Amino acid sequence: MMDHHLLLIADSDSQLLACKALAQGLRTCNSGVTINAIPQEGTPESVIQALNQTCELWRKTTAQLLREPRLAGFSAIGVYLTGSKLAEFRSSYHHSCEQHQRRALPLFCGFNGLVLERFEEAIAWRLGYDLICLNGPRDQERMEQVLRHTPFTSQRTVLTGLSRQGRGAAKGQQIVQQQSKQRQLVFAEQVVMPSKPAERRLVVQLLARLAQRSPHWRVTIKPRVAPHETTFHAVETHISETLRVALGSSPSNLQLSYAPLPELLHQSRLLATVSSTACFDALDLGCQPVLVGDFGLRQDLGTHFFAGSGLIRQLGEAEDLDALEQGLCATPDWLHWVGYHNDFSVANLLSALENWSSEQHHTIPAQLSGYVVNASDLSTNQLRRGAEISISCRDYAEAERLLEIALLQRPDNRNIKRRLQAVRCSNRLMRRLALLASQTFRL
Amino acid sequence: MRIGLICDGNPGIGACELLGAALNRCGAEATLISSARPHNKSLGWLPLGPREAAASDLLHSFAAVGVFLEGESVTILPKLHQQAAALRQREPVLLFSGPIRPLCGDALNADLLARLDYDLLCLQGDMQAEQLQWLLRGTPYEHKPISTIGLWCLPTRPVGHRQQQQPLLVVLDQPHTPPSPLANAVLYERLCNAARNSPSWQIRLQPDGPLSADPSQWPETSICWHHLHDQRPPANVQVGQPEDLEWAVAQASACLGLGSDWLLSAVVWGKSTAVLGDYGIRTEFNGPLFFGSGLMHRLADCLPLDQKLPDLPAANPGWLDDLGWAIADGPERLLRQVEKCLA
Repeated sequence: MMDHHLLLIADSDSQLLACKALAQGLRTCNSGVTINAIPQEGTPESVIQALNQTCELWRKTTAQLLREPRLAGFSAIGVYLTGSKLAEFRSSYHHSCEQHQRRALPLFCGFNGLVLERFEEAIAWRLGYDLICLNGPRDQERMEQVLRHTPFTSQRTVLTGLSRQGRGAAKGQQIVQQQSKQRQLVFAEQVVMPSKPAERRLVVQLLARLAQRSPHWRVTIKPRVAPHETTFHAVETHISETLRVALGSSPSNLQLSYAPLPELLHQSRLLATVSSTACFDALDLGCQPVLVGDFGLRQDLGTHFFAGSGLIRQLGEAEDLDALEQGLCATPDWLHWVGYHNDFSVANLLSALENWSSEQHHTIPAQLSGYVVNASDLSTNQLRRGAEISISCRDYAEAERLLEIALLQRPDNRNIKRRLQAVRCSNRLMRRLALLASQTFRL
Repeated sequence: MRIGLICDGNPGIGACELLGAALNRCGAEATLISSARPHNKSLGWLPLGPREAAASDLLHSFAAVGVFLEGESVTILPKLHQQAAALRQREPVLLFSGPIRPLCGDALNADLLARLDYDLLCLQGDMQAEQLQWLLRGTPYEHKPISTIGLWCLPTRPVGHRQQQQPLLVVLDQPHTPPSPLANAVLYERLCNAARNSPSWQIRLQPDGPLSADPSQWPETSICWHHLHDQRPPANVQVGQPEDLEWAVAQASACLGLGSDWLLSAVVWGKSTAVLGDYGIRTEFNGPLFFGSGLMHRLADCLPLDQKLPDLPAANPGWLDDLGWAIADGPERLLRQVEKCLA
């Protein structure tokens, strides 16, 4: 296998943690990894420290990164950003390579954990990447259905699995040296699942009652973020506040902990979650996961994903935690299907990159009458940038077309409106003045 | 075979009227069970609300009962009926149910999860069947009987209307989509410009669902609201009446919409159809349903209307078949599956 050195780009904390996991996996395959954490307000310092301990860390903006001469030294670039930023990076990178007459490196992207909703939309943003990393056969089948009958059926994918702790899935399945672990259940909180305050209070109450019924156990709630930190989803009421409101005084064996989740999973016998990817981290680290089934199977909570897992239990009905942990075992067929199996790992990504050649460079066909791809040029910023290029080439009709679409998407943006009014001026002098008076868009 | 169809409000009543008529044509005897009287007077009607019906002894007069509700009631009804039957020491009647709209992706999952307690699930096409299979894999519901019965919930039978003499573009206005009044204002303005540039075309802004009879109650998030408040709308732009929806689509030379289910009726009636693609694939705009349709266009690509609309490409036939259009004998399939479940 050839030597790879991959650059991974991410911004939000969950994307950065996904890159950290990927980096750990790649290191076990003897690949070099550099992570570029795009500076963003609110990124937890602990995440940055953890990345620093894992691999080489850069902190560059997208613009700085595109000017970085060392970029050409990597063997591939992995991009872990939200939808529109993914499309923007792909477009900007290829544009910059063309401008500087540089060979474009293979670009890949993926998902930071389970895809519980908006799968089709997510795929529509990722089309056009040389490789899309999917978790497992389940996502592959879904993607095949989304793209069936469309001109995008040749989109390449690779299955990289759900094992994120660099240990491989098979080890994880040889579950739990129970005796060596503390009688502790960790609850991995999710910011928006559930999102209704009453349901969030119910979760806390279920855990508290379970703690009361299990005096020999400790129940630890691991908040997704500290009160001052931010993540992709906005948190209205921090879990510490929910705990205070829902319980008043908590049982003595119920606590909050901000210790890193892997550390807690190493110590604990059980992990409880509504629908977090932490379920698979627990399997990796020999901690038995249990899915909170008290809300039933619901799309908005992501619990439907775990329907066939064999891990769903009603916390409200469990006699105590000793009873809850009895007979818990993930169904092997389900684990394989969702991507938690040694067949699916970063080794697949490396093999795919080795087999990649520049002739396979994947671009979206230019003429796609009847099909719209979010990845082509549909992010508002890309539309605005395209309009500026058209203005610089004096193609005002094209600029008008692009700005009209941008205004449809962001009807309240005054700068787009002014720019559109400017390019619509038929009088040359007036147009020139209006363009000077309106703000030029820069990424 | 006597079949009861429980429904309440739209889109359930409209869909059940279509299904009831189709079942009658196959020799079954369909009765609508709803508090509101159906439009089709030839259908049997039992004026009962859903919960009264589920608990009623009358339900035992049917070989099977379809429940086509949305929201909380759909989950409660099987439990209510089973409990009522148990108290009467009778076997519960076979209950079937399924999505009332052409759903896919997240919306389909949410809809199906609420219907898992029914004895038989009616789906539209292979695409929904495949998604149900993923949803139930490895669960106790894995082998739940299903029947794929085509696009039963939408008017797809030929209606026999002639197109208008003057070319007519029907814009299907979803009253709450896009959810921003400003976005609707911009869209309205662009449609007016399109109308001014193609004076030979009529543009009808057609609400695709119920809209208050009092225009002052219309939401700002509908294009019709913006027409109402336009001091000088183009002469060739009008607002259609909500109750004329089916007629409007049947009369249209072309249909345009963001994600309305009625775009599918337009497609199967052979209308030039464009799904507005300017917003990209957005889950809340029904983008996943139309992703593979081959019908998504930017509005700019449809202009000028008189030149571009007549030549729009047809829908992707593979996509349409997977949605359920390939199934021509849906009601027969349903009756056969009911018989199989009863045997």
